[in-house]
Amino acid sequence: MLERYLHALSLCDVADEDPAVTRERLKDRFPRGATRRMTQLGLLVGVALDELTPLADDTVVYASAFAETRALEGYLDSFPSASPTLFQTSIHPSAVQQALIGRQHAIRDFFPLTGRAHLVMQAVQTALLSRAPRVLLCGGEERGTWLLQQKVASDRSFAFALALSAQSSGAIARISLSPIPDPTAVDECSLHDFFSALRERRPLDLAGPAGLRLNLTWR
Amino acid sequence: MSQPLAVRLQASGCLTALGNAVATHSALLRGEVALRARPVLGADGGESVPLALVQGRGFDETAPPNWLPAVRALVATLAGEGWGSARRPVFVTSSNFGVGSLYAYRRHGDAAHLAFGTPHLCVEWLARELGWGANVTTVSHACVSAHLGLLLATRALEAGLAESALVFSFDFISPFVTGGFNALKILNAGFPAPYADRATGSIGLGDGAAFAVLTRDTGDFSITAQSLHNEMHHFTANRADGAGFAACLEPLRGAAAGRRVWLKGHGTGTLEAGKLESAALTAAFPDAPLVAWKGSLGHTLGSCGLVELALASESIRSGHAPGTVGTSTPTFSPAVIVEPFSTQTTDAVVCASNAFGGAHAAFILSHA
Repeated sequence: MLERYLHALSLCDVADEDPAVTRERLKDRFPRGATRRMTQLGLLVGVALDELTPLADDTVVYASAFAETRALEGYLDSFPSASPTLFQTSIHPSAVQQALIGRQHAIRDFFPLTGRAHLVMQAVQTALLSRAPRVLLCGGEERGTWLLQQKVASDRSFAFALALSAQSSGAIARISLSPIPDPTAVDECSLHDFFSALRERRPLDLAGPAGLRLNLTWR
Repeated sequence: MSQPLAVRLQASGCLTALGNAVATHSALLRGEVALRARPVLGADGGESVPLALVQGRGFDETAPPNWLPAVRALVATLAGEGWGSARRPVFVTSSNFGVGSLYAYRRHGDAAHLAFGTPHLCVEWLARELGWGANVTTVSHACVSAHLGLLLATRALEAGLAESALVFSFDFISPFVTGGFNALKILNAGFPAPYADRATGSIGLGDGAAFAVLTRDTGDFSITAQSLHNEMHHFTANRADGAGFAACLEPLRGAAAGRRVWLKGHGTGTLEAGKLESAALTAAFPDAPLVAWKGSLGHTLGSCGLVELALASESIRSGHAPGTVGTSTPTFSPAVIVEPFSTQTTDAVVCASNAFGGAHAAFILSHA
């Protein structure tokens, strides 16, 4: 069995807040001038991570199905004069990079994952297989505009970050992966389902496609 | 951190504009350049830039994507069944997935493209087409994506969660990505000359797909150490002192101690990164010959680590490594090898890749 203990949790839920409002509201949380080109997801993930005070030897696991949707939309709309800034910002793990580049915070292991039905299971497995003393598991989405109308974007903006370690003392929750003797049915769990469970401190018991059962239990 | 578990490479293969791994390796040994000048936005025109497309594939997007036959041909060479089951996980890596479909939708309004536009839609479709189960993890970290897939597969094997693991990577270029690199001005009319000390840098972009089957104990080759480092200094530039390159290579120095290595660098053709990378590789592994192959194949983006793994293993198997095709002297380092060379006096190869955000990844490949 693989297990880690959850010692700190940061959640940001802004639902359908306009990105400009988010930027104005959060600008004092970042170095001066850093927020000008940050995406809404970058701001939210940045705040979530910052509250856990990243360390140089932390492993960071990042999960997002759609990532920088607004930058992607803007980049696609910039053709035929493609925007270099929106191109680089639209690339998948950009939210975490925006946050950590703003603080010039190098890390060794960074695993950005994407997916849908089993993304949560896979992100947890990645975190629990890390050898780092502490793993920051973060993720989130940002609400799209014209891509949302086509149902290929998130309908809300949110982010989360968890600090996981092997130490049980002082933990607020335990997260584990245990083998399923005879795997049959596999559960699905969206990133927002996971976010809701964290917000409501609700336990999770999910069977994943790797033949492992994810259990989240609160103390 | 360096990963001490030595996993075996049971099988590998790749597809580039020059063909499969054997054909690509042979063409590189002959010094062939796959890149051709093409309009950066395909049918929408623009500056002519060096691009390398898989043979027979059109540059403009179709629905379903026109690269599926190429992927099918590659996967047909992959032995075994049950990929995507509980004990045979798949790690899919890419930096593009089907994002060219979103460009096609936005430019031309055909909603059929949307079914392939997001990473999960694209991978779910591909998994159905290839008969994979649900145990498919998708990694997206720009041009080090494939390295991360290898490391996650290694960890799954190490933890006893898998009997064998398939790492599969694909990046087929589209106006979405060529337009972006052109806007950054590093994809321009010039052809890439990796590590050449010249006035203007340039890259080429190429199609690439590849696979690697990893096991704990079966296969002719071993991946004996893997390392990552993320500078988080700037989106498109590295720390000027080269510390990010050195930090990634440092754990591999110990793992390579006492071995005669050669170096397969990232070598896209940009000047500053090429200078820093060659200096760091030379400092970490003095006297080791350094080559890069993107001057011929173009940069295969998130798949480059796996494409070049297949070519490096073919080099070891055949005893001959291609030189740095497309480059010219003077180079940033005397370690840069322009012509093919024999690998028979070496024990291992260090394969390195870099990505946006100052991301670095490297591993050591050797005979088992």
